[in-house]
Amino acid sequence: MDALLRAKGMNTGYDQLQILWDAALDVKAGERVVVLGSNGAGKTTLLKSLIGILPLWSGTIEFDGHSVDRLRTDGRVRRGMAYMSEVGIIADLSVEDNLRIGGYFSSRDALKSKMEAMFKEFPILRERRMEAAASLSGGQRKMLAAARALMGDPKLLMMDEPSAGLSPLLVTEILRLVKNLEGRNMAFLIAEQNIKFLEVATRVYVLDSGRIIFSGTVDELQTNDAIRRAYFGVDAV
Amino acid sequence: METILAYSIIGGILFGFFYALLGLGLNLVFGVLKMVNLAHGDFVMLGAYGAYVAYSTSHINPLITILVEIVAFGIVGMALYYGIVPRLLKSHDPEMLSLILFFGVSQAIEALATFAFGQNTQTMNPNVFGNHPLVIFGQQFQTAWWVSVLVSAVALALLYLFLYRSKLGRATRAVMGNREETAASGINVNRVSTIAFGIGLALAGIAGALTPFMLGGIYTTMGVGITVTSFAIIVIGALGNPLGTIIGGIVYGVAQFLMQSYLPSWSAMAPFVLLLIILLVRPGGILGKGARYA
Ligand SMILES: Nc1ncnc2c1ncn2[C@@H]1O[C@H](COP(=O)(O)OP(=O)(O)O)[C@@H](O)[C@H]1O
Ligand SMILES: [Mg+2]
Repeated sequence: MDALLRAKGMNTGYDQLQILWDAALDVKAGERVVVLGSNGAGKTTLLKSLIGILPLWSGTIEFDGHSVDRLRTDGRVRRGMAYMSEVGIIADLSVEDNLRIGGYFSSRDALKSKMEAMFKEFPILRERRMEAAASLSGGQRKMLAAARALMGDPKLLMMDEPSAGLSPLLVTEILRLVKNLEGRNMAFLIAEQNIKFLEVATRVYVLDSGRIIFSGTVDELQTNDAIRRAYFGVDAV
Repeated sequence: METILAYSIIGGILFGFFYALLGLGLNLVFGVLKMVNLAHGDFVMLGAYGAYVAYSTSHINPLITILVEIVAFGIVGMALYYGIVPRLLKSHDPEMLSLILFFGVSQAIEALATFAFGQNTQTMNPNVFGNHPLVIFGQQFQTAWWVSVLVSAVALALLYLFLYRSKLGRATRAVMGNREETAASGINVNRVSTIAFGIGLALAGIAGALTPFMLGGIYTTMGVGITVTSFAIIVIGALGNPLGTIIGGIVYGVAQFLMQSYLPSWSAMAPFVLLLIILLVRPGGILGKGARYA
């Protein structure tokens, strides 16, 4: 099957400083791809350039059969890409306003039914819909961030370190959420340093110093000696 | 004694609507850009001269001038944003550069205005709106004064409806809260900011047209003082928070009325004393999120 997302030869960085070096990756419809990388590997830089917040220096991005590297972020979102950043929420706005911003391009009716669906999935958000997002706990913020990204009914959800700052229990919650969303025919591209996310991955890339140094299945990853030493410790697996 | 107190409080609240209007234009621009428009007061001054010239040459009612200025200032604001800001945001030190740039715009406006309008202080006939004084607690408020208060209140109400009841207004608040997160939702933050900048200047124009009735004589170098006053008002309320500015304006107005009634010789100091107290007690402003850490 053709790839939903196909990025090739991505080079980018900040000012003169190059961070991403000739990065390439693809995601097929319904796949759950994890990009594994340690702190500072360039995961956020990668996702930001895919969604168009950070301009590419060179490279191409195709999404759903169209070239999107010339589109602004709003154009990419309208085509079905969604980006859940590490922060993921607008703290000053109410929970409900956060959701409305997430569904900015939906019609009034669609917005209403999407919001109802999100409240069903995350009842705590309904309870606190009028409160400022800033008042939510860490785990609740992640739920809101996910709900906000899902409001646009994306074909591809890109998540930037969804486990950052969460307790192991809450990480399990996030993993459960990703699994629950399986039936939606939505693809995931999850950037993480937490190897627990391999549980939900159908395919893995490893990003190291801005370069993709591995691409394959979880099994292949775990039999790759060099990677195993770097990411799992010598004795693990 | 008690009537003076009541008068000061009611008069201060009413006057506060005008102050809030003065601050809101600056705060809207600050909210979306995180930059202080140092030329804010100069645009207010231009709005004042617009009303003055239109009336003194052609007897145009300031309420009509306000409508024209909303459009003209809005367009100038959007053009200014498009011309300046994208380049500014790309520079290495946008904050510093913005100060220099807006300071330059402020100086240029002031110089050109002095060239065009001269150095004299001008006043407007307070009877432009007729003669129907409002009496509160036995104290008279002249027509031009309460009409200006009413116009301010209407402008505030419309802005409130825009920000809290419209889709674009919600996006504007989102940009104020977090530019990058808003962009991540696919909203064109540049477009939203351009419109906010236009509205910010339109508000400056409205406040300007009311200035001759609220603050007295107008002169081409009044801009700097107005920028300082506006800045004090938005810091009192909370930087970047539009509702805070309304509270800031009212607190400022009441404080000034109380000072004028009870300590008239000190009243010119009121804004700075008030600002100092707020910064010491609640550095984030009345609606701020606790202390700010610089
Ligand atoms: N705004 C920025 N300006 C300059 N360098 C940055 C900026 N953001 C990130 N970097 C650098 O880019 C590299 C990759 O960062 P990032 O993409 O955030 O990594 P990760 O998300 O994998 O932790 C790091 O060395 C970081 O210091
Ligand atoms: Mg990161």
